[in-house]
Amino acid sequence: MSDETSQPERLEKVIELRLPSKLGYERVAMDTASSLARRMGFPDDRVDSLKTAISEAVTNAIEHGNQQDAAMKVVVLLTALEDGLIVSVADQGRKPLAQVSTTNSPKIEEAFERDDKGGWGIWLIRELMDEVEFSTAPSGGNQVRMVIHLE
Amino acid sequence: MMLEDELTVSTRERDGVAIIDLVGDVTTFAEEKINAAYREVTNDGARFVLLNFRQNDYINSAGIAILIGIVTEVNRNNQKLAVSGLSQHFQKIFRMVGLAQYAEIYQDEEEAIGRFQQAAAE
Repeated sequence: MSDETSQPERLEKVIELRLPSKLGYERVAMDTASSLARRMGFPDDRVDSLKTAISEAVTNAIEHGNQQDAAMKVVVLLTALEDGLIVSVADQGRKPLAQVSTTNSPKIEEAFERDDKGGWGIWLIRELMDEVEFSTAPSGGNQVRMVIHLE
Repeated sequence: MMLEDELTVSTRERDGVAIIDLVGDVTTFAEEKINAAYREVTNDGARFVLLNFRQNDYINSAGIAILIGIVTEVNRNNQKLAVSGLSQHFQKIFRMVGLAQYAEIYQDEEEAIGRFQQAAAE
Protein backbone atom coordinates (compact mmCIF):
# COMPACT_ATOMS: atom_id res chain seq x y z
CA MET A 1 0.00 0.00 0.00
CA SER A 2 1.53 3.31 -1.02
CA ASP A 3 1.15 6.32 1.22
CA GLU A 4 -0.82 8.69 -0.99
CA THR A 5 -1.98 10.73 1.97
CA SER A 6 1.45 11.41 3.45
CA GLN A 7 2.40 14.04 0.91
CA PRO A 8 1.13 17.47 1.99
CA GLU A 9 0.40 18.67 -1.55
CA ARG A 10 -1.97 15.79 -1.98
CA LEU A 11 -3.85 16.17 1.30
CA GLU A 12 -6.32 18.64 -0.15
CA LYS A 13 -7.21 16.07 -2.78
CA VAL A 14 -8.23 13.43 -0.26
CA ILE A 15 -11.81 12.88 0.86
CA GLU A 16 -12.35 10.58 3.81
CA LEU A 17 -15.69 9.00 4.70
CA ARG A 18 -16.36 7.01 7.85
CA LEU A 19 -19.56 5.06 7.32
CA PRO A 20 -21.62 3.06 9.82
CA SER A 21 -21.69 -0.65 8.99
CA LYS A 22 -25.31 -0.66 7.97
CA LEU A 23 -26.50 -1.62 4.50
CA GLY A 24 -27.69 1.43 2.63
CA TYR A 25 -24.77 3.65 3.65
CA GLU A 26 -22.82 2.41 0.66
CA ARG A 27 -24.99 4.84 -1.32
CA VAL A 28 -23.37 7.75 0.48
CA ALA A 29 -19.99 6.52 -0.79
CA MET A 30 -21.42 6.03 -4.30
CA ASP A 31 -22.87 9.53 -4.39
CA THR A 32 -19.69 11.13 -3.09
CA ALA A 33 -17.44 9.24 -5.51
CA SER A 34 -19.78 9.98 -8.38
CA SER A 35 -19.83 13.71 -7.61
CA LEU A 36 -16.02 13.83 -7.37
CA ALA A 37 -15.48 11.78 -10.53
CA ARG A 38 -17.82 14.01 -12.54
CA ARG A 39 -15.95 17.10 -11.40
CA MET A 40 -12.69 15.42 -12.42
CA GLY A 41 -14.08 14.93 -15.91
CA PHE A 42 -14.76 11.20 -16.01
CA PRO A 43 -17.32 10.28 -18.69
CA ASP A 44 -20.73 8.91 -17.64
CA ASP A 45 -19.95 5.25 -18.33
CA ARG A 46 -16.80 5.38 -16.17
CA VAL A 47 -18.70 7.11 -13.39
CA ASP A 48 -21.29 4.30 -13.54
CA SER A 49 -18.53 1.68 -13.33
CA LEU A 50 -16.99 3.48 -10.38
CA LYS A 51 -20.36 3.65 -8.58
CA THR A 52 -20.89 -0.09 -8.99
CA ALA A 53 -17.33 -0.91 -7.87
CA ILE A 54 -17.44 1.30 -4.77
CA SER A 55 -20.90 0.06 -3.80
CA GLU A 56 -19.68 -3.55 -3.97
CA ALA A 57 -16.53 -2.79 -1.97
CA VAL A 58 -18.41 -0.93 0.76
CA THR A 59 -21.21 -3.50 0.87
CA ASN A 60 -18.62 -6.26 1.34
CA ALA A 61 -16.97 -4.28 4.13
CA ILE A 62 -20.33 -3.76 5.86
CA GLU A 63 -21.65 -7.29 5.47
CA HIS A 64 -18.55 -9.43 5.73
CA GLY A 65 -15.69 -7.43 7.16
CA ASN A 66 -17.71 -5.73 9.88
CA GLN A 67 -20.56 -8.25 10.08
CA GLN A 68 -23.13 -5.43 9.99
CA ASP A 69 -22.12 -4.19 13.43
CA ALA A 70 -23.27 -0.56 12.99
CA ALA A 71 -20.78 0.62 15.60
CA MET A 72 -17.90 -0.49 13.37
CA LYS A 73 -16.84 1.89 10.65
CA VAL A 74 -16.04 1.44 7.02
CA VAL A 75 -13.40 3.95 5.99
CA VAL A 76 -13.42 5.15 2.39
CA LEU A 77 -10.59 7.31 1.05
CA LEU A 78 -10.98 9.02 -2.29
CA THR A 79 -7.77 10.49 -3.65
CA ALA A 80 -7.99 12.65 -6.74
CA LEU A 81 -4.86 12.54 -8.89
CA GLU A 82 -4.02 14.34 -12.11
CA ASP A 83 -4.58 11.19 -14.10
CA GLY A 84 -7.12 9.25 -12.08
CA LEU A 85 -8.91 8.49 -8.87
CA ILE A 86 -7.78 6.11 -6.13
CA VAL A 87 -10.48 4.62 -3.93
CA SER A 88 -9.54 2.72 -0.83
CA VAL A 89 -12.13 0.91 1.28
CA ALA A 90 -11.17 -0.57 4.65
CA ASP A 91 -13.15 -2.44 7.27
CA GLN A 92 -12.31 -3.48 10.81
CA GLY A 93 -11.87 -7.10 9.96
CA ARG A 94 -14.31 -9.19 11.96
CA LYS A 95 -14.05 -11.63 9.08
CA PRO A 96 -11.18 -11.82 6.61
CA LEU A 97 -11.87 -11.88 2.91
CA ALA A 98 -11.60 -15.35 1.40
CA GLN A 99 -8.53 -15.34 -0.84
CA VAL A 100 -10.31 -17.34 -3.52
CA SER A 101 -12.91 -14.60 -3.96
CA THR A 102 -10.18 -12.18 -5.06
CA THR A 103 -9.20 -14.30 -8.05
CA ASN A 104 -12.15 -16.45 -9.17
CA SER A 105 -14.55 -15.80 -12.02
CA PRO A 106 -18.09 -16.88 -11.13
CA LYS A 107 -20.21 -18.64 -13.75
CA ILE A 108 -23.94 -18.10 -13.97
CA GLU A 109 -24.56 -21.79 -14.79
CA GLU A 110 -22.92 -22.73 -11.49
CA ALA A 111 -25.03 -20.14 -9.68
CA PHE A 112 -28.22 -21.78 -11.02
CA GLU A 113 -27.26 -24.93 -9.09
CA ARG A 114 -26.43 -23.17 -5.82
CA ASP A 115 -28.82 -21.94 -3.14
CA ASP A 116 -26.66 -18.85 -2.73
CA LYS A 117 -26.60 -17.21 -6.13
CA GLY A 118 -24.34 -14.36 -5.05
CA GLY A 119 -20.59 -13.93 -5.12
CA TRP A 120 -20.41 -11.42 -7.98
CA GLY A 121 -19.28 -8.34 -6.09
CA ILE A 122 -15.51 -8.69 -6.04
CA TRP A 123 -15.45 -10.02 -9.58
CA LEU A 124 -17.41 -6.97 -10.74
CA ILE A 125 -14.91 -4.67 -9.00
CA ARG A 126 -12.04 -6.43 -10.79
CA GLU A 127 -13.79 -6.21 -14.14
CA LEU A 128 -14.83 -2.57 -13.85
CA MET A 129 -11.75 -0.88 -12.33
CA ASP A 130 -8.36 -0.37 -13.99
CA GLU A 131 -6.31 -1.55 -10.99
CA VAL A 132 -7.48 -3.51 -7.95
CA GLU A 133 -5.46 -4.69 -4.96
CA PHE A 134 -6.64 -6.57 -1.89
CA SER A 135 -4.64 -6.40 1.30
CA THR A 136 -4.83 -6.52 5.06
CA ALA A 137 -4.82 -3.13 6.77
CA PRO A 138 -2.30 -2.51 9.59
CA SER A 139 -5.25 -2.69 12.00
CA GLY A 140 -6.07 -6.16 10.68
CA GLY A 141 -9.08 -5.28 8.56
CA ASN A 142 -9.63 -5.97 4.90
CA GLN A 143 -8.59 -3.28 2.50
CA VAL A 144 -9.30 -2.90 -1.17
CA ARG A 145 -7.55 -0.29 -3.26
CA MET A 146 -8.99 0.51 -6.67
CA VAL A 147 -7.78 2.89 -9.32
CA ILE A 148 -9.69 4.30 -12.24
CA HIS A 149 -7.70 6.18 -14.87
CA LEU A 150 -8.68 9.40 -16.56
CA GLU A 151 -7.97 8.96 -20.25
CA MET B 1 -32.88 8.40 6.99
CA MET B 2 -34.40 6.37 4.21
CA LEU B 3 -31.70 3.94 3.22
CA GLU B 4 -33.65 0.75 2.74
CA ASP B 5 -36.53 -0.54 0.79
CA GLU B 6 -36.49 1.95 -2.03
CA LEU B 7 -38.15 -0.30 -4.53
CA THR B 8 -41.72 -0.41 -5.77
CA VAL B 9 -42.75 -3.65 -7.47
CA SER B 10 -46.07 -4.07 -9.24
CA THR B 11 -47.50 -6.52 -11.74
CA ARG B 12 -49.81 -6.14 -14.71
CA GLU B 13 -50.74 -8.07 -17.84
CA ARG B 14 -50.45 -6.78 -21.39
CA ASP B 15 -51.08 -8.76 -24.60
CA GLY B 16 -50.42 -12.08 -22.90
CA VAL B 17 -47.23 -10.91 -21.19
CA ALA B 18 -46.92 -10.68 -17.41
CA ILE B 19 -45.10 -7.46 -16.68
CA ILE B 20 -43.30 -6.91 -13.40
CA ASP B 21 -42.50 -3.22 -13.02
CA LEU B 22 -39.45 -2.46 -10.89
CA VAL B 23 -39.06 1.16 -9.86
CA GLY B 24 -36.16 1.94 -7.54
CA ASP B 25 -33.16 0.13 -6.15
CA VAL B 26 -32.59 -3.57 -6.68
CA THR B 27 -30.50 -4.68 -3.71
CA THR B 28 -30.78 -7.29 -0.98
CA PHE B 29 -33.90 -5.52 0.33
CA ALA B 30 -35.70 -6.30 -2.94
CA GLU B 31 -35.72 -10.07 -2.57
CA GLU B 32 -39.15 -10.57 -0.96
CA LYS B 33 -40.93 -8.17 -3.28
CA ILE B 34 -39.45 -9.47 -6.52
CA ASN B 35 -39.93 -13.13 -5.59
CA ALA B 36 -43.51 -12.48 -4.49
CA ALA B 37 -44.32 -10.71 -7.77
CA TYR B 38 -42.78 -13.56 -9.76
CA ARG B 39 -44.74 -16.17 -7.76
CA GLU B 40 -47.95 -14.21 -8.31
CA VAL B 41 -47.63 -14.06 -12.11
CA THR B 42 -46.49 -17.68 -12.25
CA ASN B 43 -49.44 -18.84 -10.16
CA ASP B 44 -51.65 -16.96 -12.62
CA GLY B 45 -50.15 -19.08 -15.41
CA ALA B 46 -47.77 -16.61 -17.03
CA ARG B 47 -45.75 -18.02 -19.95
CA PHE B 48 -44.03 -14.77 -20.86
CA VAL B 49 -42.55 -12.64 -18.11
CA LEU B 50 -41.08 -9.17 -18.58
CA LEU B 51 -39.01 -7.50 -15.88
CA ASN B 52 -39.56 -3.86 -16.73
CA PHE B 53 -36.95 -1.60 -15.17
CA ARG B 54 -37.15 2.20 -15.16
CA GLN B 55 -33.55 3.15 -15.81
CA ASN B 56 -32.89 2.14 -12.19
CA ASP B 57 -29.59 3.59 -11.13
CA TYR B 58 -28.75 1.13 -8.40
CA ILE B 59 -28.72 -2.60 -9.00
CA ASN B 60 -26.00 -4.32 -7.00
CA SER B 61 -24.59 -7.85 -6.84
CA ALA B 62 -27.23 -8.89 -4.29
CA GLY B 63 -29.86 -7.68 -6.75
CA ILE B 64 -28.16 -9.64 -9.53
CA ALA B 65 -28.31 -12.76 -7.32
CA ILE B 66 -32.09 -12.26 -6.91
CA LEU B 67 -32.48 -12.00 -10.69
CA ILE B 68 -30.41 -15.15 -11.21
CA GLY B 69 -32.86 -16.83 -8.83
CA ILE B 70 -35.73 -15.70 -11.06
CA VAL B 71 -33.94 -17.04 -14.16
CA THR B 72 -33.48 -20.38 -12.37
CA GLU B 73 -37.24 -20.57 -11.73
CA VAL B 74 -38.14 -19.38 -15.23
CA ASN B 75 -36.02 -22.18 -16.72
CA ARG B 76 -37.58 -24.72 -14.37
CA ASN B 77 -41.10 -23.55 -15.23
CA ASN B 78 -40.49 -23.34 -19.00
CA GLN B 79 -41.38 -19.69 -19.17
CA LYS B 80 -39.74 -17.03 -21.32
CA LEU B 81 -38.10 -14.07 -19.64
CA ALA B 82 -37.09 -10.68 -20.98
CA VAL B 83 -35.94 -7.43 -19.42
CA SER B 84 -36.53 -3.87 -20.57
CA GLY B 85 -35.76 -0.35 -19.42
CA LEU B 86 -32.22 -1.05 -18.22
CA SER B 87 -29.69 1.77 -18.45
CA GLN B 88 -26.68 1.24 -20.72
CA HIS B 89 -24.53 0.50 -17.67
CA PHE B 90 -26.77 -2.26 -16.35
CA GLN B 91 -27.26 -3.71 -19.83
CA LYS B 92 -23.47 -4.08 -19.83
CA ILE B 93 -23.45 -5.64 -16.35
CA PHE B 94 -26.21 -8.11 -17.35
CA ARG B 95 -24.10 -9.16 -20.35
CA MET B 96 -20.95 -9.49 -18.23
CA VAL B 97 -22.69 -11.69 -15.66
CA GLY B 98 -24.33 -13.85 -18.34
CA LEU B 99 -27.93 -12.90 -17.53
CA ALA B 100 -28.37 -11.69 -21.11
CA GLN B 101 -28.01 -15.28 -22.33
CA TYR B 102 -31.13 -16.24 -20.38
CA ALA B 103 -33.23 -13.10 -20.63
CA GLU B 104 -33.43 -11.06 -23.82
CA ILE B 105 -32.64 -7.41 -23.23
CA TYR B 106 -34.92 -4.85 -24.90
CA GLN B 107 -34.73 -1.08 -24.78
CA ASP B 108 -38.32 -0.65 -23.67
CA GLU B 109 -41.61 -2.37 -22.96
CA GLU B 110 -42.98 -1.82 -26.48
CA GLU B 111 -40.07 -3.62 -28.10
CA ALA B 112 -40.27 -6.51 -25.61
CA ILE B 113 -44.02 -6.98 -26.08
CA GLY B 114 -43.57 -6.98 -29.87
CA ARG B 115 -40.93 -9.72 -29.68
CA PHE B 116 -42.96 -11.83 -27.26
CA GLN B 117 -45.93 -11.64 -29.63
CA GLN B 118 -43.75 -12.80 -32.52
CA ALA B 119 -42.48 -15.68 -30.37
CA ALA B 120 -46.03 -16.63 -29.35
CA ALA B 121 -47.12 -16.66 -33.02
CA GLU B 122 -44.26 -18.95 -34.10
